[in-house]
Amino acid sequence: MTSSAGQAEAVVRGAGAIRARPRAVLTSRLGEYAGFGPVLLLFGGFFFAPLVLIIAYSFWQVIDYNVVQNWTLDNYRYFLSVPTYVRTFIATLWMTALATVLTIGIAFPFAYWLTRYVSRSWQRPLLLLVIIPFWTSYLLRVASWITILGEGGVVNRTLEALGLIHQPLSFLLYNRWAVIFVLVYLYFPFAALTLFSALERFDWNQLKAAMDLGAPPLTAIWRIMLPQIRPGVITAVIFVFIPILGEYLTPQLVGGVDGVMIGNLVVNFFVGAQYTRGAAIALLITAIAVAMLILFRRSLVLEQVYGR
Amino acid sequence: MAAENADVVARHRRVVRAGLGAWAVLIYAFLFVPIALLMLFSFNANRYGTFPITGWTLHWYEEALSNYQIQDAVQTSLQVALEVTMISTVVGTAAAFPLVRSRLPFRGGIRASLTLPILIPGLLIGVALLSYFTNLFNLQLSIQTAVIGQAVYATPFVILVVASRLEGFDRLLERAASDLGADTWKRLRYIVLPLIGPAVVAGALFAFTLSLDEFIITLFLIGGHNTLPIYIYTQVKFGITPEVNAVATMLIAASLSVSLLAFATPTLVRLARRRLATARPGTSAGRAA
Repeated sequence: MTSSAGQAEAVVRGAGAIRARPRAVLTSRLGEYAGFGPVLLLFGGFFFAPLVLIIAYSFWQVIDYNVVQNWTLDNYRYFLSVPTYVRTFIATLWMTALATVLTIGIAFPFAYWLTRYVSRSWQRPLLLLVIIPFWTSYLLRVASWITILGEGGVVNRTLEALGLIHQPLSFLLYNRWAVIFVLVYLYFPFAALTLFSALERFDWNQLKAAMDLGAPPLTAIWRIMLPQIRPGVITAVIFVFIPILGEYLTPQLVGGVDGVMIGNLVVNFFVGAQYTRGAAIALLITAIAVAMLILFRRSLVLEQVYGR
Repeated sequence: MAAENADVVARHRRVVRAGLGAWAVLIYAFLFVPIALLMLFSFNANRYGTFPITGWTLHWYEEALSNYQIQDAVQTSLQVALEVTMISTVVGTAAAFPLVRSRLPFRGGIRASLTLPILIPGLLIGVALLSYFTNLFNLQLSIQTAVIGQAVYATPFVILVVASRLEGFDRLLERAASDLGADTWKRLRYIVLPLIGPAVVAGALFAFTLSLDEFIITLFLIGGHNTLPIYIYTQVKFGITPEVNAVATMLIAASLSVSLLAFATPTLVRLARRRLATARPGTSAGRAA
């Protein structure tokens, strides 16, 4: 506890018994809510209103580069009628799912190691080390992989220098796997941080007890530990899955023609002034994100992650 | 038999431990090699920004620092980041109070609406505001439109940081001060601010770094201007140059310093306050600390 808190605490003790204040009058009730004023303006005017507009857009039409208020389902129908778009949509879903599973799968053993085998005084610095890349430019973290995996990149130059290859390997970049790989790199720190927060609260004696009673380690982790850290795992899944679903930059920079994701389609439509079609696709992604949030709303633990 | 079993278990444990430790080392390498290479190549004389290393130079830094476009982008980035920080910090801190303290109906729903901008893909904020500004209001895209978009995105983070600090805040402290005759201003100045101050500063620095790094919303809303990420994006589309690597290295150094500051602020404030308190022995603060 900070010293000023201590100061006030001393004051409380000096004051003796604390009486509950008389019931607040209406004006002070309204005063309590005054803090919401600015955020109502900001979010109402520049988040929810545009959101309503974009929803309306998805049911309108563009005629001669102008948005016309003809209510229709054509934008959604059009999207579903073009095989390339549907394929991209499905590919986006499995790429996102796979990248999420890989990110969590890589982060879990790491978080387990950090909470179980590292002494308390080292845990924070080592965790900080994981978050540092998270704080360096997102754009540069993607771009750095071009330097590494590109035709003239580090991997190819090194293999050439070693005489192992004579032509640069081209499959390292500009395909779906490169996108997934870079996405895992990008979102790992978040997963690690969230899983660490969850495991930090876990009582390891329970795991020990389960194993003492004869449970094999993996069974003990699966049956005893996972149910208890479920909210943390779900939070990690959601916060890796949703941003990846709307990724634009990574497929744009390392995906090439083959690695296109749905976010690229949205941007292309908007750049091409096909606002209403772009809006429909953007809302399709958002609908999936919102569905996930509603489904798992009880398990989200935002404060644990950001509130420190 | 039992001893033998225990031996097996102990050996098993050591193997698991070593395996997980190796895993962690791999992960740290995975995380830092790309960044380290960027930095390395920024000092490499080779103008293709890759191996082999043909000599060490600061030339790319000179180029980057004297590049007018980069200077302009840095200036725009800083201006945007400062404005976003001011808006989000004020709006977010104000919202955190009623969120934590009022008797709210639908608290869960309100909380969700306030964090929604960071729960949905940023792409949607970008396209929604783009349509809103340009098609509905016929506004020119400018630095200000980008500031608004980024502020929508950064504010929820400030709310979360400040709210979580407020939740651990004992309201009896304020009530006691009020019983002892402190007015609203004094309660704010002597009780509330010292307790949530570090969280507000951390939230502000958080907003600042988020803004500096924000890409997708800015791409849609900034029109003809360039922030640093947008400038770098236009460059790396055609391959990374050593100049970009130099900018990257400086950017990493800068954002690291700010982030470390954000991380260290609460601790530093606490240390400073403790020192102040012990410097005045005999005060109740000194005794309490």
